[in-house]
Amino acid sequence: MEIGGSTILYACVYATILMGFFGIIFKEHLVMKIIAMDVMSTGVVALFVLVAARTGVRTPILTEGASSSYADPVPQAVILTAIVIGFSIQALMLVGVMKLARDNPTLEARIIEKGYEP
Amino acid sequence: MTPLATPPLTMTPFTILWITLPFAVGFSIYLLPQVDRILTLAVTLVSVAYASALVFQPEALTIDLLDSFGVSLLADKLSAWFILTNALVTAAIVLHGWDSPKTEFFYTQLIILHGSVNATFICADLISLYVALEMVGITTFLLISYPRTDKTLWVGLRYLFVSNVAMLFYLMGTVLVYRTHQSFAFEGLRGAPIEAPALILMALLVKGGIFVSGLWLPQTNVAADSAVSAMMSGAVEKAGVFPLLRIALTLEELEPVIQTFGMGTALLGVTYALVSTDAKRVLACSTLSQLGWLLVAPAVAGFYALAHGLAKATMFLTVGQLPQRDLAQLRQRPIPTALWIPLTVGSLSISGAPFLAGFGAKVLTLDALLPWQATVMNTAALGTAATYAKFIFLPHRPTLVMAGDNAPKKGFWLAIWLLLCSVIIASAGYRDAYTWANALKVLAFLGGGWLVYGLLRRHLTMPVPRAAEEFEPLIGGMSVMLVVLFWMVWSWSVA
Repeated sequence: MEIGGSTILYACVYATILMGFFGIIFKEHLVMKIIAMDVMSTGVVALFVLVAARTGVRTPILTEGASSSYADPVPQAVILTAIVIGFSIQALMLVGVMKLARDNPTLEARIIEKGYEP
Repeated sequence: MTPLATPPLTMTPFTILWITLPFAVGFSIYLLPQVDRILTLAVTLVSVAYASALVFQPEALTIDLLDSFGVSLLADKLSAWFILTNALVTAAIVLHGWDSPKTEFFYTQLIILHGSVNATFICADLISLYVALEMVGITTFLLISYPRTDKTLWVGLRYLFVSNVAMLFYLMGTVLVYRTHQSFAFEGLRGAPIEAPALILMALLVKGGIFVSGLWLPQTNVAADSAVSAMMSGAVEKAGVFPLLRIALTLEELEPVIQTFGMGTALLGVTYALVSTDAKRVLACSTLSQLGWLLVAPAVAGFYALAHGLAKATMFLTVGQLPQRDLAQLRQRPIPTALWIPLTVGSLSISGAPFLAGFGAKVLTLDALLPWQATVMNTAALGTAATYAKFIFLPHRPTLVMAGDNAPKKGFWLAIWLLLCSVIIASAGYRDAYTWANALKVLAFLGGGWLVYGLLRRHLTMPVPRAAEEFEPLIGGMSVMLVVLFWMVWSWSVA
């Protein structure tokens, strides 16, 4: 297999997703876990953008002598929804963590888990 | 026959109106906070009407909104059963909270949750499903953390975390499907690279609470308010299961994979439920097991979902009224018979006793299976009967009346009446089940289960290690499930 620019880009995107995922597991601090989740979702967004750019990177605007190598707008439109949802979930989580921080100032997930076992 | 073109034409606007109504009402509750309960109840009635209209629809309703990349909906009889379950459970929750000091915020979230769960039951493309499932995740988080104690906040946060990470994997799966077919339709899973079905199935298993990915479920249900647990077990977790059923029915090569997970879940959940001592935990683990029952026979899962949703919601609401949740202590002190009756009817229905909805559902599911699968599920049925014997054989006294803050309010009784009447009426849903052979089989399960319970009662309180239910193992478990699913899809369906 020839290793071209797009293969390297794919590798970087998947590496971002994986690093975010491992961050969620291995970081102790709750805020760090949330940031790791954001890194992972950034990777997923990048994957959508990369798939959209498969046929070209031009903006698909109808003009005289239109170029055929334009980016596919559908994945880009779809991922906008996911960005908004991801952003709102992150906001909600940070609010939740702020409230938890009053009684658990260290915010270490393992200790909080132990404290609230039903 | 005359052409049947007219009903779909009238159904399309009705569908669109029905799917937007909960959101419109949800956001306008803040303008009219005095009538929050009435508005919420009215929306559930519209859902009941819609589900009934779907049942009489001769063929499945497919709607494509906008163009080829727009939203596509598919509503058929399977959806109708799930919508009906969701509507009845939501209505019961509204009635249950009628005379409680819950604010309009609660009802806004409840009705938006109702709407987004309905949306998962009729959407037919991967992206609409994504949006609906994320909505379900967010509103469920808000409902779980509504009491705003640290404990519910943490459990809600945990739920949101697990569900959002699963949905990120889901998105990766959808983009792989899109890259292959330039479309987001469910059929696109066929022919897409094997990673796509593996990623999407994994995410749905987590959302639906299936097998080890579903181990977030017991703790979440135990910590949440009993009305919220009733809503989660009765309707919300089915939002993750329904797309799995849809996929199993659309792509028959994935059906064995999904059935295998169903059987695994049924056995795992029932084992957990058998050895638990906390009443709410028993119910939550049993939900895990019952969700597995839905998956083993996708074609007939609709009726099972209705039967389970109604009975489980009844039991969660009733357990919320008990003076304590520890079953060992409940065996020492009698409970009022008025509370024991709904517990027993719910238990009998889930165990599959005749003249209750669970009987038809169980027979229907067992008839749809291959012999070796039926053997596995018979074992699970026996375990279910033994589990619910814990509730049936609780001591009770008719003279006991609950007083003080603990006393059940009028809304509670209305909710229980609604659910129990539905359980009994729904037993007419599958009348062919009533043969002597079926009745004897089910009674043998009941008798066998109760015998197992009687013999093993002393030993049924093993402490189960909770390590697998903690936050980090749950997230890490997703990667393991991905590998397992990848291998399953690769070796079973492609070869």
